[in-house]
Amino acid sequence: MKTSSGKIVDLATALAAVKDGMTVGIGGWIFHGQPMALIRGLIARGVRDLTLVPAPGSVAPDMLIGAGCVKETACVFISFEHLGLAPNFRRAAQSGAVKVLEMDGPGIAGGLRAGACDLPYGLIPDLGTDLPKVNPNGYRKARVQEGSRPLLEVPAIKPDVLLLHGQQADEEGNVQYFGAGYFDLLMAQAAKHVICSVDRIVPSSTVRQSARLTKIPSAFVDAIVVTPFGAHPGCSPGLYDQDEAHLKTYVAASRDQKSFDSYLDAFVRNGGGEPAYRDKIGAQALAALTSGGAAP
Amino acid sequence: MPVVPQSFAMGEMLAVLLARDMADGEKAIVGTNSDIQVAACNLARARHAPHLWWVSGPGGMTNPTEGIIRPAADAENIAVAQAVMDLPLMIDFIDWQIHFFDFAILGALQTDRFGNINTVCVGDHAKPRLRGPGTVGISALCGLSKRFYIMMTRHDRGAFVPKVDFVCGAGHMTGGSSRTDAGLPEGGPSLVVTPLGVFDFEPASKAMRVRSLHEGVTIDEVRDNTGFDLLVPDKIESTLAPDAEELFVLRRAVDTTGVLPAKFPWPKAN
Repeated sequence: MKTSSGKIVDLATALAAVKDGMTVGIGGWIFHGQPMALIRGLIARGVRDLTLVPAPGSVAPDMLIGAGCVKETACVFISFEHLGLAPNFRRAAQSGAVKVLEMDGPGIAGGLRAGACDLPYGLIPDLGTDLPKVNPNGYRKARVQEGSRPLLEVPAIKPDVLLLHGQQADEEGNVQYFGAGYFDLLMAQAAKHVICSVDRIVPSSTVRQSARLTKIPSAFVDAIVVTPFGAHPGCSPGLYDQDEAHLKTYVAASRDQKSFDSYLDAFVRNGGGEPAYRDKIGAQALAALTSGGAAP
Repeated sequence: MPVVPQSFAMGEMLAVLLARDMADGEKAIVGTNSDIQVAACNLARARHAPHLWWVSGPGGMTNPTEGIIRPAADAENIAVAQAVMDLPLMIDFIDWQIHFFDFAILGALQTDRFGNINTVCVGDHAKPRLRGPGTVGISALCGLSKRFYIMMTRHDRGAFVPKVDFVCGAGHMTGGSSRTDAGLPEGGPSLVVTPLGVFDFEPASKAMRVRSLHEGVTIDEVRDNTGFDLLVPDKIESTLAPDAEELFVLRRAVDTTGVLPAKFPWPKAN
């Protein structure tokens, strides 16, 4: 699709911005808005040695880690919630294959704010945790005046590239969310380059009718990729539920590296891209996710 | 874990016990995977605390209420909320402000004698035996809210350890005045609710103490399942079980689709 803004591009064009060794931010929240089409695209391309800065997430950081694309990852929270611990992240962290930069909510919030404001670091309260012990570069004791509460400095977070998923966008690149925006806009302000997948493209008039849904205005986006079911097997709030059956398949396939490699070969590294992925999941299974019948 | 058969599920009991301790007008925060917490807050609002205010930490929806317990981050909560706030603004009062929240309710992989919380790892952080999900807002909620509850769906020596392997939420730290000595505001854990009983913290030492045991649970069983010495009062109270009215409101107004009994049955006896 050729558009006036030039921001709507195909997957390969968008992902060309991601180079080996970069720091990559990931938006969304646990199973919500995980930019999975972008993640699958990066894995298919075989990108290496990434440093991840995921917002609290699940299958997006877990799949990149399981595919061997990651050298180190910040961990604020990586969980499969009711389906257990994030299986590939867990295996990589326990074996030491991936270095974990332990973080917490205030650390990522303060770091992103500093990044968005072009400040060298943010100041957060020292909450008496063990985080500074295991991540001394991420949490430094701050100099404070006599009598002040103890504070920590957290370095600015400025991802080279940020991956997001929204529900719809117009051709100028205004991205609308039907659910919460989580850290996505703050991360977009802090990142150097923002790639956002959306499930569909809509006319500008649709966006103007409900401008409050625009969580990422066009000025904060560099590239938009239109990929139906691009958040699968996570959920795209308001459009489709998370695919519990496929997530269970994923968890079962993650029991060891060999088995997970077979999963990736079947679903991700088959050369067919997103159309082949959707075919493999199946139209009927995808349609069932849009019925609202799976929740709660 | 042997437990007497009950006419209510474990999740229902934990929700009722938590709800009873909440006061009208208090402010609370609920995380993503928080069915029991959501039920407790909405039960308190439906009974004795109609002006309790709670917010979904990730999603920003305030007081979503529709008689169905949903994950707090879900978009479906928007249509039944009073407000929807954005996380980049909420971080001011979640991560920095002192005592904005009256309470939070937190689960954990491990807790210890002084109510510190660990959701990060079991074993050494560099090479853990079990890699947990991480800290997210737990550090801030333990550190900055007026009090917090520790809600454990399992009570055994793996979960109740002498000292947590990683402090990601500071409780009473090393006991006594250590928490405020470290520069943290007054607060810390007030109650611990588990499938076996309710526990609090002795005011001077800040060590965990038995408050009441659930029906059919003996003190020996609790000791066998706790990895440190609990303080035990001379007379041990029996937990007041959820009554008919509490269960009626819970099932007819708060959890009409039965999420709690489906997801949180009593642990099987072993």
